[in-house]
Amino acid sequence: MYKFAHIADCHLGAHRNPVLQKLESNAFEKIMTKCVDEKVDFLVISGDLFHSNIPDMGVVNKAVKKMKEIRDEGIPIYLVYGSHDYSPNETSIIDILDSAGLFTKIVKGKVENGKLKLKFTVDPKTEVKLVGLSGRKIGMEEKYFEILDRESLEKEKGFKIFVFHSAITEFKPDYLARMTSIPISYFPKGFDYYAGGHVHKRIEEEWQEYRKIVYPGPIFAGSPRDLELSAKGENRGFYIVSFKDGVKKIDFIEIPTCQYVVYEYDASNKNSTQAQEELIQGIQELNVDNKIVLFKVTGKLSGGKTSDINFQQMRRILAEKGALYVNVNRYGLTSKKYTSLKVMGQDVHEIEKKLLKESIGSVKVKTTDLKGNKGIKLASDLLSALRQPQKPNETKRDYIERRVRHAFEVLKLTEVFE
Amino acid sequence: MSEIEVVGQVVGGKAARILVREKSGKKIELGDLLAVEEKEALLILQVYDLGYGSQVSQSTRELLAGLKLEGYGAGLTFLEPQLRNYVMAEVKAVARIEGQNVRIPKTLPSFFSSIRHITKADLAFLTKPSYPIYLGKVRSGSETLDVPIHLNGMDILRHHVVVPATTGRGKSNLVKVMLWSILGQDRFGILVLDPHDEYYGRHGKGLKDHPKAKDNLLYYSSNPPAGTNTLIVNIKSIDPRHFEGIVAFTDAQQDAIKRYRNLFGEEWIENIVRGKEVQGVAPRTLGVLQRKFDNILGIHLDDSGEFQSRNKVFSDTAGITTTTDIANKLEDGKIIVVDTSRLIDEAELLIGSIVVGSIFHRYQRFKSEGKLEEKPVVSVVIEEAPRVLGKEVLATSGGNIYSTVAREGRKFKVGLIAITQLTSLIPRSILANMNTKIILGNEMALERHAIIDSAAQDLSDDDRTIASLDTGEAIVSSNFTKFAVPIQVPKFEDYAEVEPGKKEMNKTVFVG
Repeated sequence: MYKFAHIADCHLGAHRNPVLQKLESNAFEKIMTKCVDEKVDFLVISGDLFHSNIPDMGVVNKAVKKMKEIRDEGIPIYLVYGSHDYSPNETSIIDILDSAGLFTKIVKGKVENGKLKLKFTVDPKTEVKLVGLSGRKIGMEEKYFEILDRESLEKEKGFKIFVFHSAITEFKPDYLARMTSIPISYFPKGFDYYAGGHVHKRIEEEWQEYRKIVYPGPIFAGSPRDLELSAKGENRGFYIVSFKDGVKKIDFIEIPTCQYVVYEYDASNKNSTQAQEELIQGIQELNVDNKIVLFKVTGKLSGGKTSDINFQQMRRILAEKGALYVNVNRYGLTSKKYTSLKVMGQDVHEIEKKLLKESIGSVKVKTTDLKGNKGIKLASDLLSALRQPQKPNETKRDYIERRVRHAFEVLKLTEVFE
Repeated sequence: MSEIEVVGQVVGGKAARILVREKSGKKIELGDLLAVEEKEALLILQVYDLGYGSQVSQSTRELLAGLKLEGYGAGLTFLEPQLRNYVMAEVKAVARIEGQNVRIPKTLPSFFSSIRHITKADLAFLTKPSYPIYLGKVRSGSETLDVPIHLNGMDILRHHVVVPATTGRGKSNLVKVMLWSILGQDRFGILVLDPHDEYYGRHGKGLKDHPKAKDNLLYYSSNPPAGTNTLIVNIKSIDPRHFEGIVAFTDAQQDAIKRYRNLFGEEWIENIVRGKEVQGVAPRTLGVLQRKFDNILGIHLDDSGEFQSRNKVFSDTAGITTTTDIANKLEDGKIIVVDTSRLIDEAELLIGSIVVGSIFHRYQRFKSEGKLEEKPVVSVVIEEAPRVLGKEVLATSGGNIYSTVAREGRKFKVGLIAITQLTSLIPRSILANMNTKIILGNEMALERHAIIDSAAQDLSDDDRTIASLDTGEAIVSSNFTKFAVPIQVPKFEDYAEVEPGKKEMNKTVFVG
């Protein structure tokens, strides 16, 4: 019986905070050690090993050391790009480490007669055949799936693994409904194992001719939402898969990193002073020692501004109580006085126009030129006039004068100020 | 007007029954559109009945026929037969054209007016509206004029469309033509529940061949071709209200469902299927519910206690976002074809119910937020509409999301395209709300009367015309047309003829 490990979405280098950096690197090191202890025959990484294509070199250095250790133990590593560490011109850290022989990027192929023909990489020890498609930014890998020559991949005999970094439409979690995804029908059928990455949730599925579709989820946290899900009980870790003439066993190996505390507060119908007092009282009662605190404040304040609430003070209190790290999420907090608007548009101008349209009604003026569509146009023209960039060789003074002059022209006030 | 064009002359009658004598050598057909030119207007007439007229008495005609038949004189004929025997057409005035103004005629054409066939130029007022949906070309009798008929999709779809006809008269062909014509527009979100898997074109030409299909068409099937979506619905997406008017439950069963929903939340079906006992629910009731879900959804437990789906459409793990995805795409103005050919009726309607309910409530919210006008119109194509809009179904269930949409949908830009053979089964109150009827041939008198009774124009004289409509021939009766327009719907395969696109060869640069 052979074994391989499957990890994804390590997002090494995602955090600036030293505590989170440490937890992230600990998780990665524990996994590498476990792979050696478990004597896996090879390791598959389904993309986003790093959080960016050129990550912090300190982060790279640590990761390389650990990966070299397991490579020296005779455990090869096979991987694909993820959407974060992808590079369109093959100049990612992944390519450098691939060239250095630390691991093998298994996405090999070429487009012939409009079809993408992928080439298998064969693991020399187990003779497992691996093939994969990298993730690209904003789901652009769909084009590759579209032209993929599935037939040739399906015909290949032997134990086959398809490695990818994309969400599958049919298995997306509800909170990722709007995420770009690939329908399962684009995937080649008949592989023994589909090693997925990109979806930050653990998924194990068997679907008709797609035997095992597995996403391990992130090893720690690539985003605040991951922290939130971990705090709500989502286990983080990786898979060890035992196989011989097919998959025999799939074990999820949990890698605990730390404990979490979630503190949620609804500020609806409270003014900012009340909310501040209640929040401070609430956090005083929490046991946050050596824990990550996820602090979420929502609701609409009946009075005062959202900025009246001193979140810095709360961070300080929690830090004094021993919290490892405090994440404050106040995106859901609004005030009756200032309501946030959400609009969508293709470019800044469209968004701006929509925002003006949404807000024009709240401007109480008597002049009809400042109301409705006239008002929107005037505001838009004024913004354009004020947004003019400074010309080369134009002095600051001339630049300001020019913008003021244009603004007066838009407002038809030139004569008044002359 | 030249002599050659004259096909007849007004010889009598009254407002809704003008009598026209046919000119010898000319042919006036049932359904023909005729024109009378007046001083400052053009009157359009339509033929709804034909009969013989003769100046010779019936007994003389019978005698002459007898003489010929019995061989007393093969060459016997009438003196100047074209004057003595002729065809009389019963026609009605359908429109009065004054420049670009079209009015319902309130006067008779001048007595003895000459009548000619309508021409393309006479119908210049039929212009292409904004957001056009193509239906076909104007038909005069069995002749097709080169005058395309487009209706404003924004108007007709939100006010519902009904397509009544018997089998083989071209209902699906018509709807395919309509959908093809709007596929590139982005202003219509159309959900097609397709029990015969005939819209997408899995095995032949279909909507998938439209040049904009890649961006604007989505196909869901339990057996999806490459690149299309798997029809898989997570049972957690199903709420008890989705069964309303689709599956009948007894009071005890409804009570049990309510208990499971309250206790297990969105996992209520799973717990019923797993046979989890709940206080207040008799084991027998639980057993019946398990069997019902097995029959309708095809879900059951196998011998090892694993959850199984017989039709592979309902799942306890996958398909969590399917119905939301579909609703999102409808809101984005896409056409969604759902192949329900492997599902039983109830399962098909249930999936429709989840999506329609979701989009309807979403649009209600948009209206209250003042965002409705910027959203595309959403319409649901439903075959055999009486399954959900039938009098009996509605009487027993009290209503369902489809009947709610039929009654209130237009306020929220959500409409139905109801296809049916049995219009008479749909209550008049609902039919009256369906403001566009595209009437294809129908030989059943009861059904024709139901259609005629609820048409936007007075079609009381068109019973015979509707009965005689051939495949692809239709009459469009709509609040958005000035008169009931006879049309010829093209064959989808001919209409959807597109220039073969140049294949992009080797253009994609592959980066591993």
